[in-house]
Amino acid sequence: MSNNLILDVRDIKVHFGGVKAVDGATMSVERGSVTSVIGPNGAGKTTLFNLISGAIASDSGTVAFNGEEIQNLHPHQIAHRGMIRTFQGAKVIKRLSVVENVMLGGQKNPGERLSGFFNPRARSRYESESRERAMSLLKQVGIDRFAEDYAGILSGGQRKLLDLARSLMAQPTMLLLDEPFAGVNPTLVEKLLEVLNSLRQAHQLSFLLVEHDLETVMNISDRVVVMAEGKVIADGLPNSIYDNELVIDAYLGTRKKKS
Amino acid sequence: MIAFIQPGFWVFVLAMAGIYGIFSLGLQVQYGVGGILNFGHVGTMALSSYTMAILVISYGVNFWIASLCGVAVAALGGAFLGLTTLRLSGDYFSIVSIAFSEIVRYVIFNSDGFTGGSQGSLNIPAKVEGDYPTYTNTWEPFIGWVKDRLAVIFGDNADRDMAMALIVWITLGILLIIVGRIERMPWARVLRATREDDDVPAALGKNVFQFRLQAVILGSVIGGIAGIYWALQFSLLSPDDFLTIVTFYGWMILILSGAPKVKGLPIAAIFFGFLYGGTRFFTFWPFSILDSSQRAYIRIMIIGLVLIFLMLKRPQGLFGKREEMVLE
Amino acid sequence: MTDFIQLLFNGLVEGSIFGIAALGISLVYSVLRLVNFAAGDFLTLGAFTTFFFTTSIKFPFVVAVVISMVLGVALSLILEFILWRKLRKIRAGTLALFLVATGVAFIVRQSIAMLFGSDSRRFEIDQIKSFEFFGAIIPQAQLIVLVCSSIAITAIAIFIKKASIGKDMRAYSDNPSLAAVSGINVNRVIIATWIISGTFGALAGVFQGTVQGQFTNAMGLDLLLSILAAVVLGTIGDAYGALIGGFVLGIVMELSTWDALLGGIPSTYKPVVAFVVLVIVLLFKPEGIFGVKARKI
Repeated sequence: MSNNLILDVRDIKVHFGGVKAVDGATMSVERGSVTSVIGPNGAGKTTLFNLISGAIASDSGTVAFNGEEIQNLHPHQIAHRGMIRTFQGAKVIKRLSVVENVMLGGQKNPGERLSGFFNPRARSRYESESRERAMSLLKQVGIDRFAEDYAGILSGGQRKLLDLARSLMAQPTMLLLDEPFAGVNPTLVEKLLEVLNSLRQAHQLSFLLVEHDLETVMNISDRVVVMAEGKVIADGLPNSIYDNELVIDAYLGTRKKKS
Repeated sequence: MIAFIQPGFWVFVLAMAGIYGIFSLGLQVQYGVGGILNFGHVGTMALSSYTMAILVISYGVNFWIASLCGVAVAALGGAFLGLTTLRLSGDYFSIVSIAFSEIVRYVIFNSDGFTGGSQGSLNIPAKVEGDYPTYTNTWEPFIGWVKDRLAVIFGDNADRDMAMALIVWITLGILLIIVGRIERMPWARVLRATREDDDVPAALGKNVFQFRLQAVILGSVIGGIAGIYWALQFSLLSPDDFLTIVTFYGWMILILSGAPKVKGLPIAAIFFGFLYGGTRFFTFWPFSILDSSQRAYIRIMIIGLVLIFLMLKRPQGLFGKREEMVLE
Repeated sequence: MTDFIQLLFNGLVEGSIFGIAALGISLVYSVLRLVNFAAGDFLTLGAFTTFFFTTSIKFPFVVAVVISMVLGVALSLILEFILWRKLRKIRAGTLALFLVATGVAFIVRQSIAMLFGSDSRRFEIDQIKSFEFFGAIIPQAQLIVLVCSSIAITAIAIFIKKASIGKDMRAYSDNPSLAAVSGINVNRVIIATWIISGTFGALAGVFQGTVQGQFTNAMGLDLLLSILAAVVLGTIGDAYGALIGGFVLGIVMELSTWDALLGGIPSTYKPVVAFVVLVIVLLFKPEGIFGVKARKI
């Protein structure tokens, strides 16, 4: 196994009832790169994501992160190892304020242990540092003016920015972004792309993206993986994917059904 | 009607309200922060009080140590409940938690030679044969001492119930301060997040199960403390003290107080105490045509009606904000 | 062997009662997302109304049972109109539904206590006549209970599967919002659910009263624990699961007292066995026997 791979997924499978949602997918992500998984609806992209991040258990296959097998770990254990994910449609905790949402991302917070009750000084020191960092992240993604509002009032696009800021708060080495651009207006897409690019350069972060269409991720991806019906049908540079017949078939198939 | 103006009775009610308040605070930690619907909370009270009583009566353990053990066993009971059921979705947990407290009561009821069975703590085998089975030998002198201090201020009105009420309410006050602080910690922030959604905190590295388990154990410790006071207030225990209905009294106080904040809880506890105690005096018409056991039935029916009315008309409680409850 | 047959028979009888009662609870949950804590007291109500109509008014037993079922349905529907409908309208949460159901349970139980007192009662039926089967004693009354409950179970299974309202019920419980837009009459589904729940509640109460011989106003409450265990065991909201869960628990609970099994446990601990079985199953299959794959948290 190449040391250069931060994520290595081999022949992973899962079924729900009789449906093989992911049927033997193999793919990898190079350290410091942006890899995108695309595919028509129902291709198993999000399920693959859930398998990698530990949200659902696989039937068979392996997932290695930084050389360590993680397919049997719980989501929080995977997060501890530096892989943080966002959610399709961006989940926010509506009844916490925006800044509190971001502060949830902080790791090793002494105040999150009950024993922290007996150490109020360490607790409040961490808390004020954490708030400062959360505010600067919010500023970076451009929603710091909502910091003290309930997260429930944010628009869909703003929620995605919040989800991103919250994930960054955890100081990940790898980010999994589930449809970060879907349903976001073009100005916000620009903003998101700008943030992603600066992150990549500044922190050597690795990215795995899930998107529906190739066009969206064409310019930011180093590599594109195409899924259809639970399988990986193509894997390569964005340009090579563009002309791949299998891929065109897979998309045309769904387009026909839609129209 | 005479009893209505007897201050002594209302002091007793005040002490009971305080114990129910402590009990309800245990639910508050679980539901108010973590959204955990525990309907078997009374089981923790049964565990702590019976553990204490058995240790003192059958094994001659020092009362204070026995009380600590009682609270510890309540915590263990909460841990057992949590470990077996907290991974289940909400409705499952609620059902199994009810079963938990019923099983505890059932075992107590049927273990004659150990817990005294249906005859209660009077039937717990004493360490020295022939000794009167009581667990209050250490407590009574202490409460007598408190009563004497109170007599300096209240003169002849000072009695055991007044001393008890004082101690219970001081305990409740301390616990409110501690719990209030805990609920301002980031620990509680994570739990509030889990109340809305498991996936987000898990994806950020929080062990959701562990946070919930801690909340259940913390609530069980507080319930255990209430159990010790319950045992002391009545000086004897019976399995019938720990019917599921007691858990719902605790819930009623919590709902009245407006769950997410602890501030309303003492007032809600007093309100409940007076509702519960007050219905004892429904001796006027039309209740006067009923005999006393029928009036006891009426009392529980009224509490049922108040619960229903609250949920229909003021789900946010007397002091809560409506949005908090509706957002559930 | 004789003991085994005896216990198996007892378990089947008890299991069929659990199954019927659990089915009502599970159905109400699947359609209304309501855990009906008052269900146990509806059982008691059924037993006591039957007792009243046979003893005080001297109606034939079967007539009294039918009247009890009608009364159970009537009360269920009244509660639907004055409570559950309103709670749905204000979008009451899980806690509110739990507490209201408990409030209803208090009121029903205390009303029965007020009207009939706390003495134990028995039906005026022949409880002595019995048959022998491989040495096991099979009381006639219990045999009738088993036959009748089997008929009721078969009837309801066919109803849910074949009748159009039964299909609507399944569609609605799978996906309420989809069912509502696809032209299913939601009101009809809900009313049918309460009718089944009311009928079966009263029936289970009468059966249990018959099997126990004598019963008090706490009968349903004492039984609720085991019934809820059956509901959860069979995956809450799954009607067939509830039936199977009921039979499994009934048989396991009876067999647990068998001497051949390490002496067996004292029969007073039977409800504890239900709970232990439940916990063991849930540890390995957190969504019940028939549940779908659970998410990790």
